Amino acid sequence: MPVNNTTLHRPRLLPRRTLLRQSAAGVGILGLRALMAAESAPANLLAPKAPHFAPKAKRIIFLLMGGGPSSIDTFDPKPRLERDNGKPVPFRRGLTFGETSVGGLMKPLWPYKRYGRSGLPVSDLFPSVGSCADDLCVIRSMVGDGVDHGAAMLQLHTGVFQFKRPSMGSWTLYGLGSENQDLPGFITIKPSGHGGQNKWSSSFLPGDYQGTPIGNGNMKVEEIEKEPMPYLISKGLVSEPQRYELDMLQKMNRRNAELNNHDPELEARINAFELAFRMQIKAPAAFEVEKESNETKKLYGLDNEVTRDFGWQCLLARRLSERGVRFVQCSHSYWDQHSQIAKIHPELALQVDKPIAGLLKDLKARGLFEDTLVIWTGEFGRTPWAQNSDGRDHNPYGYTMWMAGAGVKPGFVYGATDEFGYHAVENRMHIHDMHATVLHLMGLDHEKLTYRYAGRDFRLTDVAGTVATGIIA
Amino acid sequence: MRFSFVLFFAGPLFAQPGEQLEIFEKKVRPILANNCYACHGQKVQMAGLDFSSTEGLAKVVSPGDPGESKLYKAVVYADKIKMPPAGRLPDRDIADLKAWIESGAASPKNTTAVVVSANPMTARLAEGKKYWAFQPVQSYAPPKVKNEHWVTSPIDRFILAKLEEKAIRPPAAAAKLTLLRRATFDLTGLPPGLKEIEEFLADGSKDAFAKVVDRLLASPQYGERWGRHWLDVARFADSTGMDEDHVFPNAWRYRDYVVKAFNEDLPFDRFLTEQIAGDLLPPDSPGGINQRGVVATGFLALGPRPLAQQDRVQAIYDVVDEEIDTTTKTFMGLTVACARCHDHKFDPILTKDYYSLAGIFASTVIYRNLGKPGAVSFLYDAPLDTAAFARYQASRWRMYGKQLEMEEALGEDWVREYALLRPKMAKILVEAWKAEHTHVEAQDAQVAKWVKWLRAADDKARQGYLEQWFGATEATIEEVAREYQARYIKAAVQFDQSLESWRRRYASDVLQERDLSPRPTASDPFFAAATFKGGPMELADSPRVALARQEWEAMKESLPPEPPMASGVLDGVSIDQRVFLRGNHFNLGEPAPKQFPTVLAGESQHPVSRGSGRLELAKWLVSSNHPLTARVFVNRMWQWHFGEGLVRTPNNWGKMGEKPTNPELLDFLAKTFVDSGWSIKAMHRTIMLSSVYQMSSHASPEARDADPPNFLWSRFNRMRMSVEQIRDGILALSGNLDLTVGGSLLPTDPQVKGRRQQLDLDDLKRRTMYIPVRRGNIPVLLTTFDYGDATTASEGRSRTNVAPQALFMINSRFVVERSKEFAKRLLDDAALSDTQRIERAYLLALTRRPEPDEVDSALTYIGNLEKQLGKSDAHRTAWQSLCQVLIATNEFLYLN
Repeated sequence: MPVNNTTLHRPRLLPRRTLLRQSAAGVGILGLRALMAAESAPANLLAPKAPHFAPKAKRIIFLLMGGGPSSIDTFDPKPRLERDNGKPVPFRRGLTFGETSVGGLMKPLWPYKRYGRSGLPVSDLFPSVGSCADDLCVIRSMVGDGVDHGAAMLQLHTGVFQFKRPSMGSWTLYGLGSENQDLPGFITIKPSGHGGQNKWSSSFLPGDYQGTPIGNGNMKVEEIEKEPMPYLISKGLVSEPQRYELDMLQKMNRRNAELNNHDPELEARINAFELAFRMQIKAPAAFEVEKESNETKKLYGLDNEVTRDFGWQCLLARRLSERGVRFVQCSHSYWDQHSQIAKIHPELALQVDKPIAGLLKDLKARGLFEDTLVIWTGEFGRTPWAQNSDGRDHNPYGYTMWMAGAGVKPGFVYGATDEFGYHAVENRMHIHDMHATVLHLMGLDHEKLTYRYAGRDFRLTDVAGTVATGIIA
Repeated sequence: MRFSFVLFFAGPLFAQPGEQLEIFEKKVRPILANNCYACHGQKVQMAGLDFSSTEGLAKVVSPGDPGESKLYKAVVYADKIKMPPAGRLPDRDIADLKAWIESGAASPKNTTAVVVSANPMTARLAEGKKYWAFQPVQSYAPPKVKNEHWVTSPIDRFILAKLEEKAIRPPAAAAKLTLLRRATFDLTGLPPGLKEIEEFLADGSKDAFAKVVDRLLASPQYGERWGRHWLDVARFADSTGMDEDHVFPNAWRYRDYVVKAFNEDLPFDRFLTEQIAGDLLPPDSPGGINQRGVVATGFLALGPRPLAQQDRVQAIYDVVDEEIDTTTKTFMGLTVACARCHDHKFDPILTKDYYSLAGIFASTVIYRNLGKPGAVSFLYDAPLDTAAFARYQASRWRMYGKQLEMEEALGEDWVREYALLRPKMAKILVEAWKAEHTHVEAQDAQVAKWVKWLRAADDKARQGYLEQWFGATEATIEEVAREYQARYIKAAVQFDQSLESWRRRYASDVLQERDLSPRPTASDPFFAAATFKGGPMELADSPRVALARQEWEAMKESLPPEPPMASGVLDGVSIDQRVFLRGNHFNLGEPAPKQFPTVLAGESQHPVSRGSGRLELAKWLVSSNHPLTARVFVNRMWQWHFGEGLVRTPNNWGKMGEKPTNPELLDFLAKTFVDSGWSIKAMHRTIMLSSVYQMSSHASPEARDADPPNFLWSRFNRMRMSVEQIRDGILALSGNLDLTVGGSLLPTDPQVKGRRQQLDLDDLKRRTMYIPVRRGNIPVLLTTFDYGDATTASEGRSRTNVAPQALFMINSRFVVERSKEFAKRLLDDAALSDTQRIERAYLLALTRRPEPDEVDSALTYIGNLEKQLGKSDAHRTAWQSLCQVLIATNEFLYLN
């Protein structure tokens, strides 16, 4: 059995058998003993690990636009649609979500402007993001397999749309560990909607790689700030008395460990209590967005009711990133305009445009932009034809995602959809390819990042995925 | 044999050795299957092209010359014809196609033929028949051992013989109270109480522990604890997970069934049969159903289910796949679902075997109906009282019918009345304006109505849709009034149309038992305000409408509540399944008759000819010569008692799984189990009354050295408790555990959309197994302690040790509140001294008396903390803190 670097970073309890099988195949009995001894000091699964090769990015901020913003109306202008606005759809429509109320072609509803030296076109929905155009790497040829939100969300996060699999944040944590032991390594802020926990689940990977949700989509920021992580704030004793309480507990635990031959598992739990105590002292500081300067808060739009929520998410994402959290996700919703797109898309864009630009500018100002990868995407785009006269249906066959920061070409457009913006036709980037590329930027080979489960090796990219070298700076 | 024709075929273009055909199979066919067959295959031949045949391919491929091949030209998007239309293929695929054409474009005669395999399955089948796990269960005599004193059960001989081979002494027996704690948590998931501790300590008889085991097996909490183990394997949850995560309102009935089955010691062969085919068992009374059996099929029904998948065939076969996966892992320890797209990579399981089982499950109803495009599908719910359900449905349909009758009548009235009224609106509005401005009361009743309504308009309306009216002057009023009329008529026509189409949709929703679409509401505020709720255009019900409305209301009132339903399955149309090549349902292969995996059931089977075949599947699984069913289940029992199975991959007994650490013992247990009539409780006694179960968790030095993973069972495994044991145990200490057995904690009002509210788990006093679990949103407490994801058959819980678990212990409201109650229990007993209180706390939490130094230490702690806190309630707080410390200790969390 091939033993690769990654599978040697094994979890403590489960794959003892995997380990043994590997040992039996190649390591020999002496090696086996040594490995067993290593196991007796339980490894910290979140300790930083060396990547497969030199990474371009150290961490990721993933901005999820739930519901599926329209690419045609944002980053992928289509003159042909301008010309043929209202005409019947001249091509065969693929499997779509709603076959009802299908109308004619619908032109982009907002004018485009060219920005910066790159001249990258961005629609009037995103003027602030447009001002950062020279930093964006716009991928106009994304392809997924799910036409409904649930399937598309699952695939975007896990690569697979039918089954529950580890999330991409969990895979990066599994591959690289965490740089901050006082905070979780994978955090998702205000998650909501389709896919639920599957979006941050470690599935069959060890629980250490599970994403930690900060509040949920329905909660107000004030509510979340009261207790950003589960059980972080003591409902019993606090400060000195709680330390005294913990000392009593640890005294009893050490006595118990002594009576049990210092069972490493018992010792590990003694350490876990110390870690937890440290975490509850140190972690809250990461969430004190309030302490940022007024200038910074303004940059993210925290001074405005419309932009405050997503601004807070973006600013918190930066605070977590600079503390070494490997994967941070911010969530915004709900871009699912089967009707009334002209009314609702601008309202939603207004909520995120300034915060996103603020995040990009702030990352640059703080020197974090060079090794942070920012990803902006929905679970799919929307159709070039009208639905219910003033909306658009789901389109996973060709849509836009953009990346910015570490390792990607700035002010760059990659791939293209057909002249209607329906199918990706040039440099198609399937979600598997996107995952392969993101892992590559993090210094991980998507074919080597495997985990043995239920008798076979699993990958984030399943059996597919090609690194899109064309976008790499 | 089936593979050979592929190799024998030779044509002018395609005379190629097998190796080149393999390039076709590995590289080219997947490209064709994923991108082309849907339009150019066996089912559909657009442009008259069928790439599933040699002839078809010959039309578009010039062997050796990509530039002359239409296929190649189309995929490079060089000419007018660009294929596939959904977008250019990845460069890698195009390169593969090019290389294949250049090398001569080898393809088998029928391109959808069976995959040529480098390792022919026939050979693997023959080899597979010799595989250890597929051999019949052997009858082994318990071996002779040197240390006869240690032996109290035949199990001990199997274990001790292996230990003696390695010269390992078994450890001493566990201390009496350690054993009591172990057995009580093991069988009931709860700590022993003071009374049980005293009784057991006082009982010096030889069968004292046997009495404990009997008592525990007889307690209702036994079924909860062991039923919960089974629910893990059955990947039980209260919602569909996946895309929509809708609640299963009746999942709890299956949970209750499982608890009851364990408590009543339902023989396992019967338990298995009911879960796969309970609906097909003889009815409770003639013409009725087998109620328990129907509930039991929740095993099949309650998996994760796609509801929004728009490719409905894909949705159905994803469900079928899930059922195959769960059923074969659960009962046979085989990963049959790996053979969906290709023959199993490691085990002798054919893709055809997979589709033979798929035929069985595809002939079983899971969806009540598949939603129309853009909508979600609905799952089948089984009525448990068919007569009551028929009555209920009939009254519902009558009620909806009456509602539609009323709506139809209303629609007719509208057409008649408004045909006259609407065109007059402009005129009336002008009159009303004049009346208002000349202060002459209107004579005309219609005009008066408008005047009254307009006068009563609030500011919002005046500044909104009535702004033009109030802003009109004598010069403009006629124009304004015309505009209002035009606006009104436009909105009215739109509304009429939407009502009309709603009525049609409503009728079909009712017929097809979908969620009913809500009656449309008017979007134009002027139209809405003028037409409804006292507006001047409001129509009074005509006598006909009024009567229908009255009858409808009465029917609504008297509608009986929904009769009891269960999540279950039933036989549907019996399907003649064919193999889906590469798992793609557009790509049909040979027929796969309903039968069982070849390696186990043989080449010449009698395929199921009637019905789904689920009952036949169950019968085959529990047949006395099935090599896996009994072994797999006793292994699970061993795993749940000892923390690890004799086979440590409980769901995978194939080549990639583990071999049994003690194969003779495994077979002995399997045989004993079947001989006992598949009695689970008898197996508990067999296992628990052995010395192996009762030994200490302290390994001897030589055992630690020679057997670190405890493959030989050289000591009892120390185990961190499950989240249920932890939470229920803490509730037990608080004295407030609610031991109600069964039922549902989901909100019962079916009108609550989605039924997604969360319970306040901090206040809930019921046992943890009753917490509703939505797959998409599993409560944090459960995931923190390795509950798993309730998505596939569980191999057993992980026992991780992460910081959030420690945070839960030191910070959570749940632990703080329960330890407060625990402390109150101690303090409220005025007869106790503080020393006695500490003794009692130790007995309750840790099932042992404290050592004197521990008592001193605890008293000192309370005293110091009290001083440190210095508040009026410092005394109670200090006791609460001590109780919390006891709960948070490793000693509480671990079973020794």
